[in-house]
Amino acid sequence: MPKITFISADGTAQTVDARTGDNVMQTALAQGIEGITAECGGAMACATCHAYVADDWADKVGPATGAEADMLDFAACEVTPSSRLSCQITITEELDGLVLRLPETQI
Amino acid sequence: MPLAPVNDAVTITELIGNPYPFYRQMRAETPVVSVKAVNRVMLTKAADTRAVKDDAETWSSDDPDTPMKRAFQAHTLMRKDGEEHLRERNAMMPTFTPKNLKTLWGPAYERLAGQYLDRLPKDEVVDLFPALAGPLAARILAEILGLSDATDDDMQAWSQALIDGAGNFGGFDEPFERVDRAHLAMNALLERRADFYRANPDETALSVMVNADDPIEWGQIVSNIKIAIGGGINEPRDALLTVLHGLLTNPDQLDELKRTGNWGAAFEEAIRWVAPIQVSSRRATRDTQIRGIDIPKGTVVMTCQASSNHDEELFENGHLFNAFRGRNPHQSFGSGPHHCMGTHLARLMLGKIMLPMIFDRFPNMELVEPETVVWKGFGFRGPLNLPVRLT
Repeated sequence: MPKITFISADGTAQTVDARTGDNVMQTALAQGIEGITAECGGAMACATCHAYVADDWADKVGPATGAEADMLDFAACEVTPSSRLSCQITITEELDGLVLRLPETQI
Repeated sequence: MPLAPVNDAVTITELIGNPYPFYRQMRAETPVVSVKAVNRVMLTKAADTRAVKDDAETWSSDDPDTPMKRAFQAHTLMRKDGEEHLRERNAMMPTFTPKNLKTLWGPAYERLAGQYLDRLPKDEVVDLFPALAGPLAARILAEILGLSDATDDDMQAWSQALIDGAGNFGGFDEPFERVDRAHLAMNALLERRADFYRANPDETALSVMVNADDPIEWGQIVSNIKIAIGGGINEPRDALLTVLHGLLTNPDQLDELKRTGNWGAAFEEAIRWVAPIQVSSRRATRDTQIRGIDIPKGTVVMTCQASSNHDEELFENGHLFNAFRGRNPHQSFGSGPHHCMGTHLARLMLGKIMLPMIFDRFPNMELVEPETVVWKGFGFRGPLNLPVRLT
């Protein structure tokens, strides 16, 4: 089972189990990660599941493109090249060990 | 497993007057409950209302047993599922991009807010419902939808006619007659404006839908616009009145907010405290269960986000207005595929523009005779009046 690490804005790291096929947002919600709000439930309509992909995972995960990149404009915190909407990142075995940093706020 | 317990005690009049005590009791005793007064199984807990809205496969938005189709003269996107819903929603989406909010609608709202605030009389009692909140909500919506020659009065009247028609469960003649007349007026306006936009395209909802490469049918364009009219005036109106009420009755919080400028948090708290849209229905597409209660296929449940927003498991003293609450996972914009398309617009207009502006202009605004403020509504809810004095 792949593991994902969420680092909240205050530096606290939480490593949780993830299921392949789920997306990162679903994993965060299922495992009680507080820094992901996911108001629209994964419909890519709200930008409250914003997360920053750690640099060494950038290649494997890839950047936000198209409609996701547009929707990121609504994110409450600064959007950087590492920004993704976590509902759009699907968990695969290849992403075992993925690290993401969470913004200070989602709204 | 048992079916939902039945409550045949609460009346619709009580719910319209103040549903919150009933919701508190249901959360504690029977969170999933069949309520005779509204003929629905009510869900009063946050986890349940959220789960239902997020699972569009099990819970359809199509409730065929309501006056909505009759009132709207159409099957609207609010009651559609899956691909069909998404196609109609996407047809309007281009209007609501971050870029348009930043470059068009935000500046337009700022300009209009300034004008409407300028017109308010000083040193006398003024009711902000008819003097500000209602007309301003109508005006900005008219601009965004592409109906700029509709008057504030017409927009508000059409909106109320649509809402009253859709809520006409008693099947009375008057609401249907009134909404039919509104349709005649709206249809004429829409046809005229559509002709204009074919020649002069812009970013308004009517224009982007009419000029799309692969447009949806005209009948659906019309019903999309009407859903926005029905759904886009009462809510910003009520949200503004509710947040002003919350702030004016909590002067210590207002003082702190003037210092910190965190008006966005005040806006979120207001719509949590009294959700402008209090309930929404879904229909079970298969036999299922909630909290050990059997829900047979075809059952219509009512997710009571007004109640979820006061859920004791998520909110301490949820019945109180507290702009400094911190985490505020309210469900007033819904969740899942039908999550409110106006969310970012509402946050921008009220949280970022209106609140700082109104308190910058009228820092000593005073609520006059607070005991005369009337709150009303079961489906939609807000203050019916907000008498203030501006100096």
